[in-house]
Amino acid sequence: MEPILELIDIKTYFSVRKGLFKTLTVKAVDGISMTISRGEVVAVVGESGSGKTTLGRTAIKLIEPTSGKIVFKGSDITNIKGDIKWIRKEAQIIFQDPFSSLNPYMTIKQILEEPLIIHGVEDVSEREEIILRALNNVRLSPPEDFILKFPHMLSGGQRQRVCIARALVLNPSFIVADEPVSMIDASSRAEILLLFRELQEKYSIGMMYITHDIATAKYFSHNISVMYLGKIVEYGPTKEVLKNPFHPYTATLINAIPDPDPENRFRERSIVPGEPPSPINPPTGCRFHPRCPQIIDGKCSLSEPISREVDLKHFVACHLY
Amino acid sequence: MSFIRESFSEFWASNISKIGILFLAILVAVSIYTVTTLPLDFGVRYWYNPVYWVDYPKSAQPEWINIFLSEKLMSHVELSISKASGIKPYNNRFIKYYNVSYNHECNQFPKFITLRISDLLFYRRDSPPIVRFYVTRPDGRTIELYTLAIETISSNATPPFRYFSMEPKRILLSGDIYLARSLVSFLYREFNISLGTSGVLEVGSEKIIFGSIGGDNTFTPLIGRYVFSAVLICSDVNDGIGMFNVVLGGYVYGLMGTDVLGRDLFQGLLFGFPIALIIGVGVSLLTTFIGAGLGIVSGYIGGRVDDFIQRFADTINNIPLLPLLILLSFIFGGRLWLIIFVLVFFNWPSLTIIVRSMVLSAKASQFIEAAVAIGASRLRIMVKHIFPQVAPFVFAQMIFFTPYAILAESALSFLGLGDVTMPTWGQILEYGFKNGAVFLGYWWWILPPGLFIVYSAVTFVFIALGMEPVVNPRLRRWK
Amino acid sequence: MLLEVSNLRLYFKTLRGDVKAVDGVSFSLDKGKTLGIVGESGCGKSSTANAIVRNLPRNVSRYEGRICLEDMDLIPLSEDEFRSKIRWRRISMVFQGAMNSLNPVLKVGFQVAEPLIIHKGLSRGEALKIVEELFRLVGLSSEIVNRYPHELSGGMKQRAIIAMALTLNPDILILDEPTSALDVSIQAQIMNLLKNLKRKLGISMIFITHDIALASDICDEFGVMYAGELVELGSAEKILPSPKHPYTQKLLSSIPRLHSDKTPEFIPGAPPDLVAPPSGCRFHPRCPYVMDKCSRENPPNTLVNGGFVKCWLYK
Ligand SMILES: Nc1ncnc2c1ncn2[C@@H]1O[C@H](COP(=O)(O)OP(=O)(O)OP(=O)(O)O)[C@@H](O)[C@H]1O
Ligand SMILES: Nc1ncnc2c1ncn2[C@@H]1O[C@H](COP(=O)(O)OP(=O)(O)OP(=O)(O)O)[C@@H](O)[C@H]1O
Ligand code: SF4
Ligand SMILES: [Mg+2]
Ligand SMILES: [Mg+2]
Repeated sequence: MEPILELIDIKTYFSVRKGLFKTLTVKAVDGISMTISRGEVVAVVGESGSGKTTLGRTAIKLIEPTSGKIVFKGSDITNIKGDIKWIRKEAQIIFQDPFSSLNPYMTIKQILEEPLIIHGVEDVSEREEIILRALNNVRLSPPEDFILKFPHMLSGGQRQRVCIARALVLNPSFIVADEPVSMIDASSRAEILLLFRELQEKYSIGMMYITHDIATAKYFSHNISVMYLGKIVEYGPTKEVLKNPFHPYTATLINAIPDPDPENRFRERSIVPGEPPSPINPPTGCRFHPRCPQIIDGKCSLSEPISREVDLKHFVACHLY
Repeated sequence: MSFIRESFSEFWASNISKIGILFLAILVAVSIYTVTTLPLDFGVRYWYNPVYWVDYPKSAQPEWINIFLSEKLMSHVELSISKASGIKPYNNRFIKYYNVSYNHECNQFPKFITLRISDLLFYRRDSPPIVRFYVTRPDGRTIELYTLAIETISSNATPPFRYFSMEPKRILLSGDIYLARSLVSFLYREFNISLGTSGVLEVGSEKIIFGSIGGDNTFTPLIGRYVFSAVLICSDVNDGIGMFNVVLGGYVYGLMGTDVLGRDLFQGLLFGFPIALIIGVGVSLLTTFIGAGLGIVSGYIGGRVDDFIQRFADTINNIPLLPLLILLSFIFGGRLWLIIFVLVFFNWPSLTIIVRSMVLSAKASQFIEAAVAIGASRLRIMVKHIFPQVAPFVFAQMIFFTPYAILAESALSFLGLGDVTMPTWGQILEYGFKNGAVFLGYWWWILPPGLFIVYSAVTFVFIALGMEPVVNPRLRRWK
Repeated sequence: MLLEVSNLRLYFKTLRGDVKAVDGVSFSLDKGKTLGIVGESGCGKSSTANAIVRNLPRNVSRYEGRICLEDMDLIPLSEDEFRSKIRWRRISMVFQGAMNSLNPVLKVGFQVAEPLIIHKGLSRGEALKIVEELFRLVGLSSEIVNRYPHELSGGMKQRAIIAMALTLNPDILILDEPTSALDVSIQAQIMNLLKNLKRKLGISMIFITHDIALASDICDEFGVMYAGELVELGSAEKILPSPKHPYTQKLLSSIPRLHSDKTPEFIPGAPPDLVAPPSGCRFHPRCPYVMDKCSRENPPNTLVNGGFVKCWLYK
């Protein structure tokens, strides 16, 4: 499979001002490498603040990385500034919140038309045709009923479909989906995800699927990266990782989500103690060590584990392996 | 564009916007009417020229007030004639009569009487004409009012000789000593009453001319027909008077009355329309355009551009306005464009600062990032995505700036910094206040300009309310 | 029987008409048990809870039914009686999003102590002592009482809120989405805490959530809500493995499961409008088993498996 996006040791730091003179560095993404091929879905899971969104935005150059290299469709786009329009056409992003990611002052038609206008589809009837096709694709039908509506007239699920349609009108080859279903009612999440998957397969789109819900990743991704505090701690084929998590953090994430079962209430859940530390002052050594149930004394807190291929295409960064 | 058509139909759907548009249409129509009928230099030529208004009644109420009064007030009367009503030879000279008649019906005396002739024309250098003025009363008695003698021409100018063509000869009869003497003899002759000139002046010439005398020497108005005549005694048949006017000062005048200088408030207020429109719309358009534009750029682009604009805005915000205005009007004189400039210059910063902060929060919305992600240019994002976010506020500001500008202008007028070449509602209002119109109960002087200011403000408020659903789709009718 | 709710109705007046947020809800709660109320967003879960603790907005147009707490009907109580005898003392509640409603300028300890000062008339010092104890119970160190809300993480805030609900030793604790804003690992911590409290204090709880899997962690019984009505009620042992109502079935099968390979399903169609809910069975426009009768007549509650189902399939 041809790689569509390659991230090589990406670091994205933010500086935040504290008080009058002090600036602190937030190491939101701290050395991540990843390859996504055409038609491949890579899930990025992790707790809030682990840097998932920052990674996704950096990948399509909505944020400039502090260091590292981004190769998109074979060309190094890390430092290009001006000629960015083709990237904007080829790479799209879908945001978490379908309520705030659509301009409330524009009709659905205007929203879907905008990328076409920007990217030079001048013929009005052609644009109309593309829009209707896109709406059909995301099963907002009949499309004629929707094009004149404003976002506030739609339900959350319908809005998220509009967002998907907007991402698809330009026939992108890569999409970052940043928690696309987390604000949607549980009963229709599956619907959106299945739709997403179908379209992704149909157009063979490479995708970074960002989520904090490991269970949806299971149905939707080929490979999964588990992020903790700006680093990837485990990477591998989704089924493999979920069945056989190596990293203690992955294991606790998986354990934290119960399947509905009346027996649950007679068991204590195995939990990770404490809360994720701040990315301003990440712990030394393995960043997970202060919460890790299997910490190796004198090692984990001192040296940073490097990522190793422990099983076939299954990488983990942990001193246990 | 269908967008515009749709927006308009949305706008038009509410009654309030229809009323707003109706009001605006009236405002504009009156302004156009004014500009086409009154001279553009109306201010200098007439309004601020007291001479022009001498023959107008001072502080007169509007004429229509009579509808509500059982005891009618005397209307202001101006009679005129430009052609001789008769000609008669007289000792190898000629007599030309210019008669105007007036039916006095109300139970009051005129406030004053003025005679006016203009364009006196004669040919004989050695024998200029003489004009005598008389009035014949309803009771058939005649009073000699005044005699105007023209000096012989000693210069070597060539005939015809023209007098009073630039400015009419004006004879104010009230208090005239010549008339008083004439009235002394009139009273003695006709009624056998002896009253000295000072007595006559004390009673008032108008009362004697327009009065019938009662038992204890009191005068009551004499109802009926009065004929005023100017009699021209001339040596050449072609000599003549261009125009003879008689002004009888009344207690009510015109549609809107007069102010303390006798100025016709109707004309002044009428002229206020286009000016209010210019000041209000001009200031608000420019202010909001500049303020919102810079605010959006400042907030969205950020960085140094932002720093620069905000510093600049802060600086202007902190300049004390008044001393600067006094200085400027000292240099340039109070001028309309200067007032507009100053109001705009000092008002855009506050708008910019607010709009910027709104833009900063709008900028954080995800749909802005979504627009960046599909490759929209900065300009496009500012125009299509950011502007609509702040538009309702900006429109509201625009609407508020309109009456504000009109009020600010009148406040400046109050400080003597207004444009002295044209009347504005503010100036009329302020002049009224200054002359105690409120205290004296001259409502017709204070209320209309106030109401017009309110009217113009309400117009824009209505339009703003009608505009709301267009800029804010949440309020749109469900389609 | 500790709490018995029957035919509870709560309507809100809006411009479009009355929102029938709670429309004839009946259930009961035993001592020491936990009832889960689950359903899609907007189906009236929070409104049901608010109706029980009488936390009503101004635009209520209808509020009726019976709420019996150990044979005392709460509905006829005056506002004063309810506040002094019931709310917080007998029934307390952790509101949806409450952790974001902590006053940012007051110390957490004081905010948690407030019910003690108000209801029990304790002095500040005494109250704070009790709060420290409660904090230990919910797994917060006692120095936290002196912190401000912004100095706490989400999980710590939620613990403090739970401590606040426990200050007056209530018989019933209502929890409205207590973990939905938290990360999974923190969520698990809070669930363990609640389990502990349940065991140690023997407190009864009503646990409101849209996440059945989460609810299965603590609930002994489940009430499934749809469009303002309770469509199925039963024990966890019965409902989770073999849901009866088509909606419950769909809801359960829409959960993505980590430990089995079934693909999640979804419920087609949009959630109903509570101003003009569908006729007959409110679920009929989205129901795969819909029959003629369903759109015409509202199904009665049918006793099945010790609980009830509101569906024509079981009549
Ligand atoms: N523009 C920014 N300026 C400063 N810090 C930022 C900025 N954006 C993100 N961060 C910080 O970077 C870290 C990672 O944030 P990010 O949004 O990538 O996390 P996430 O994994 O997407 O979390 P969530 O699940 O909550 O969306 C956080 O600590 C966040 O506070
Ligand atoms: N004060 C109110 N006025 C009018 N409608 C209201 C009011 N409060 C709630 N509603 C409506 O009542 C319905 C039920 O609301 P409720 O908050 O009980 O739902 P919920 O099940 O708790 O949803 P969620 O899971 O999103 O919290 C919704 O349609 C809501 O819009
Ligand atoms: S009553 Fe009918 S429509 Fe309603 S759930 Fe049962 S079968 Fe479906
Ligand atoms: Mg994120
Ligand atoms: Mg709720």
